[in-house]
Amino acid sequence: MQLKVPEHQVAGHIAKDGKPGPLVDDKGRFFKPVQEGSRGENEVKFYESFSSNTKVPDHIRRYFPVYHGTQAVEGSDGAAMIVLENLLSEYSKPSVMDVKMGSRTWYPDASEEYIQKCLKKDMGTTTVSSGFRISGFEVYDHKESSFWKPERKLLRGLNVDGARLALRKFVSSNSLSDIDSKPDSAFVSSVYGGSNGILTQLLELKTWFENQTLYHFNSCSILMVYENESMLKGGDDDDDARPQVKLVDFAHTLDGNDVIDHNFLGGLCSFINFIRDILQSPDESAET
Amino acid sequence: MLKVPEHQVAGHIARDGKLGPLVDDEGRFFKPLQGDSRGEHEAKFYDSFSSNKKVPDHIHRYFPVYHGTQLVEASDGSGKLPHLVLEDVVSGYSNPSVMDVKIGSRTWYPDVSEEYFKKCIKKDRDTTTVSLGFRVSGFKIFDHQELSFWRPEKKLVLGFNADGARSALRKFVSSNSSADSNSIPNCAFASEVYGGILTQLLELKAWFETQTLNHFNSCSILMVYENESILMKGGDDAQALLRAQVKLVDFAHVLEGNGVIDHNFLGGLCSFIKFIKDILQSLDERDDETDTSQLENGN
Repeated sequence: MQLKVPEHQVAGHIAKDGKPGPLVDDKGRFFKPVQEGSRGENEVKFYESFSSNTKVPDHIRRYFPVYHGTQAVEGSDGAAMIVLENLLSEYSKPSVMDVKMGSRTWYPDASEEYIQKCLKKDMGTTTVSSGFRISGFEVYDHKESSFWKPERKLLRGLNVDGARLALRKFVSSNSLSDIDSKPDSAFVSSVYGGSNGILTQLLELKTWFENQTLYHFNSCSILMVYENESMLKGGDDDDDARPQVKLVDFAHTLDGNDVIDHNFLGGLCSFINFIRDILQSPDESAET
Repeated sequence: MLKVPEHQVAGHIARDGKLGPLVDDEGRFFKPLQGDSRGEHEAKFYDSFSSNKKVPDHIHRYFPVYHGTQLVEASDGSGKLPHLVLEDVVSGYSNPSVMDVKIGSRTWYPDVSEEYFKKCIKKDRDTTTVSLGFRVSGFKIFDHQELSFWRPEKKLVLGFNADGARSALRKFVSSNSSADSNSIPNCAFASEVYGGILTQLLELKAWFETQTLNHFNSCSILMVYENESILMKGGDDAQALLRAQVKLVDFAHVLEGNGVIDHNFLGGLCSFIKFIKDILQSLDERDDETDTSQLENGN
């Protein structure tokens, strides 16, 4: 089995200092190290429960990575890895964005230390103000024929306007590395809009979240992916973009206990509004 | 003549020489503007909101009508103080049952003082605010048998967990609440009261999904219904007589939305809606069971 480091990680853990990071194979699978302590156990527990939970409607399953159990993998010192569907394997030049949902990333049963750490981060980012924060993103730049991603430091300091700008840059084709250039929002309607677009998918998720009391997706992210390869080659086929929404990172997901995940839902509604605003005013100057 | 309102279930009470709201006999409610800037802040909100054309008419009905400010003799004998003059939302009722529910998974907000933040977050974590996205602040129910009001102690209410909140919501629409506290709430008025309330909450929810005008920090939803004639009459008139009303109250901490929706309030509101829906659904299930057993008994 040929394993290598994934090319398009935009957030989360990477292989560093001898600690294993995620790996991918050439058969469309993604290997995620089981995290230390309760987080790793929790994530496995979630995937085990979710994959066999008959209360989850079929049309909602598509928003979650397919789970293929756990496996010990060579080169990771026999450490267990969670085997998942590689969400990007069907894309040749994927643009990817990771958005952490919820106006708080902590939760009542967490340790005091963890709560304080989360609170600080939440207050210093758009999490508290907007109900979500952009953890990272990467866009294929046609001009440069390479991928562009902003520095992590820049992302942390993003305020509400910065988040809006990032969401526009994500679907733009003009020079992304030039901070002063106004994003052209070239792919707004083919990625965010349309009957199979990001907004439609988010609205489907929202409906489910208004009623589901199965899980609380603390600190969970929504991943947005789309194919950037054929975009500039023209053609009206919106399917070329194949925008996808996926929920990822379930280390802190817990039982819902008959209460809806109001934290995730509030953030999701806010995020939906940001996307809608961009769709309704493709010309950025309309927002000033 | 101004007097102490009879149906306050939360907030300051004008009693024993304390400063609190007053009502007149013309349906007006006088809320003293507190010494700190909160009172002025609330007045400013009412001022701008009541004339804000961006707020649809069907949403204005969820807010108390604003009648400006007025100098009025304060309830604590401290002389004439400026008061907010509002519609008394319970003045049309003779024996209203009232519940105050503070909406949102946090009552603090960015840029508050460290002291206020600590006070809020402690209370949020000690109550159902963090876990459920709302907390019951207080309620009272009119009891037909006793012809009097019953209300739980504030301490009990603030100590509610999820089950306590659920139980309170059931008790609120029951006719056997003040009797033996261990009796199961009969939810006698649940379908008429919560049916009407649910429709209103869903209307509010739709507005909150897109409105970016204000963030309603620490704001409450007041649920009011008339308990008087429910058991005497019934049928189609029941809903009209019950006049179950939803009102938003307490705007001392409202801020501008700055282009972002009030996701804190919205999340809590959705959670509250689910609780109401669950109660309504359990009634359906209970009725189905009764029907089935009646069939089985050859009825």
